[in-house]
Amino acid sequence: MKKTLLAASLASALFAQAHAAETLTFGYAAYLFDDKFSTILRNGAEAYAESLGHEMIQVDANNDQGRQIDQVKNFIANGVDAVIIQSVDSSAAQPMTKALADAGIPAIYVNRKPIPIQQLGSMAAYVASNEIESGTLQTFAMCNQLRAEGKAGGARGYLLMGQLTSEAAIQRTADAEQVMGLDMCNFMTLVAPKTTGQWQRTKAQDIMTNWLSTGEPFDFVIANNDEMAMGVVQALKSAGIDMDTVVIGGVDATDDAIAAMKGGDLDVTVFQNAAAQGEGAINAAIKLLNGEKVDREVYVPFELVVPSNVDQYANRN
Amino acid sequence: MAGLAHGLGGLKYDPKKRHRPPELNVFVALVIIVLLFEVLGRLFVGDSFLFNTRESIDTLFNEARLRIIILQVAIIGIIALGVTQVIISGGIDLSSGSIVGAAAMVGTMFAQSSMNEYGMENTDPVLGMAFLDLPIIIAIVAALAAGLLAGVINGLLIAYGKIPPFIVTLGMMLFARGVANWTTKGKPISYLQEDYAAIGAGMTPVFIFLGAAVVMHLLLKYTRYGKHTYAIGSNEQAARMSGIDVDRLKILIYAIAGFLSALAAIVLSAKALTGQSGMGVMYELDAIAMAVIGGTSLAGGRGSVLGTCLGALIFGVIISGFTFMRLDAFYQEMAKGSIIVAAVLLDQWRARQQAARN
Repeated sequence: MKKTLLAASLASALFAQAHAAETLTFGYAAYLFDDKFSTILRNGAEAYAESLGHEMIQVDANNDQGRQIDQVKNFIANGVDAVIIQSVDSSAAQPMTKALADAGIPAIYVNRKPIPIQQLGSMAAYVASNEIESGTLQTFAMCNQLRAEGKAGGARGYLLMGQLTSEAAIQRTADAEQVMGLDMCNFMTLVAPKTTGQWQRTKAQDIMTNWLSTGEPFDFVIANNDEMAMGVVQALKSAGIDMDTVVIGGVDATDDAIAAMKGGDLDVTVFQNAAAQGEGAINAAIKLLNGEKVDREVYVPFELVVPSNVDQYANRN
Repeated sequence: MAGLAHGLGGLKYDPKKRHRPPELNVFVALVIIVLLFEVLGRLFVGDSFLFNTRESIDTLFNEARLRIIILQVAIIGIIALGVTQVIISGGIDLSSGSIVGAAAMVGTMFAQSSMNEYGMENTDPVLGMAFLDLPIIIAIVAALAAGLLAGVINGLLIAYGKIPPFIVTLGMMLFARGVANWTTKGKPISYLQEDYAAIGAGMTPVFIFLGAAVVMHLLLKYTRYGKHTYAIGSNEQAARMSGIDVDRLKILIYAIAGFLSALAAIVLSAKALTGQSGMGVMYELDAIAMAVIGGTSLAGGRGSVLGTCLGALIFGVIISGFTFMRLDAFYQEMAKGSIIVAAVLLDQWRARQQAARN
């Protein structure tokens, strides 16, 4: 049923294209339809494509890399103008890149970086948010807030890392440490060595309670994600600590984190704009089709979320 | 080795055990570890591990630390109580962590409130508006029923399917995690009722853990259920010959283990104020480790609730001790691993000594 529908939509799309040359048809290969972030990204791309008068056909690889490769080949066989891919396995992107390059069809990878990135030729690009920004934005905003609170003479705090094997955890931690090394922010120092809360709320809750038992005063807690930041918030609240005396920062802008920020408990988080990544992918595809040059890596900025702008981020991711 | 590890299973009076309970070793180990942190702390950190050194507070001990030592192991401790009796019966339960995930999702689904702690309206409840603000007993019963069901399925497959417990519970581990992910397609459940959150607030998890420990202790030590559990762990064939309904008993054992995992799930989700499908990952291994450190033999027939509680305390002391010493997370994991192996090594050595004496 799904296939028939797809074939029908492909046929009608191609038919339409034959009549109006300016209407482009994009093939969108999603790694999995059933994923919230991925869905927002996909819908963002579709809405943007349609607003420009183009068409987008979507297929679901259902987390199966083999299936995704076949789907991309099907797109090529059916003559779409460009293919946008959120790959299942970023290290297995090469066959798709090659097939599209051989067919002369632009390949836009979105959100998941194809490894190695050098495989992307002149008719290919990668659109995503740059992980380097999230930890930097977060820690710098915390630094500013501590300054504004008159703590520039010295502020002590803790750093909670995600899973030690995770690239995002390592990157965000390195960026936080780099910001704390800047002249402007080097008044921020850690009370104890950074510790992993394994991305988990309950782990972070227990670690924070352990830190509280040392009786050391502290001014801030940096967490690599919002789940751990929420654990910190809950530990401090159950210990009866005045939340205004501590600056807490997370990353992700989850629903719970947004609620906690509105409630005045969380101070900083960072939003990854999925819909904008979708738009960026369509833009890159159109530019490549027009013969314009596109950077191999196109970055959609992370967005800082603080109490003053939190309202516009509710229910966005 | 298998012969040495088999105890008498509480079936026969053994004067040697009477004089020196095996839990004593675990207790001594606990004391040694605590003293080690106390001494190292005074030498390198300039602070006391156990005692209060702050003038602003008027207590002898560092009570905040003593509380977190036990609080942080209470939830996995509840699971470990169930795992202990499974291991004593000669089985193993790898599914407890995943049952925690599934039961947490099922429970929190029925524990949603129309408003969160900040007074914001719940616009997207999992089960629809009609299921908000239900009496929390419904959530509790739903979660416990889910855990019980998973445990009964484990028991039925082991008893009547004659499949090794390792395989059955490995299957349940994957299945229950699948159920947990399926319930909301991975989306976390928030907006939990205040009454539900109270189950995990403050020291309540510790009281629930201790309450469950007392019940399990009495059950294993003074009832026919307990005696028979030791018996099938020591020698299943002999137990069957002597008229014990081994199949029924096994179903009961795994059902209780599932029930306790679900109890842990309720406390965990209440403490975290959220239900998440990833909850409880790897908890089964920590629970098994607590039981083993506490002197429970993986060969079956030997172990106790008291030992497991001490094992859990050792875990708690290590976690807090390493934070206190300001050591990195990496060392924590290495120490945990070493202590598990050291505990079993010591236990084997002790068993050999005892056998030589006999």
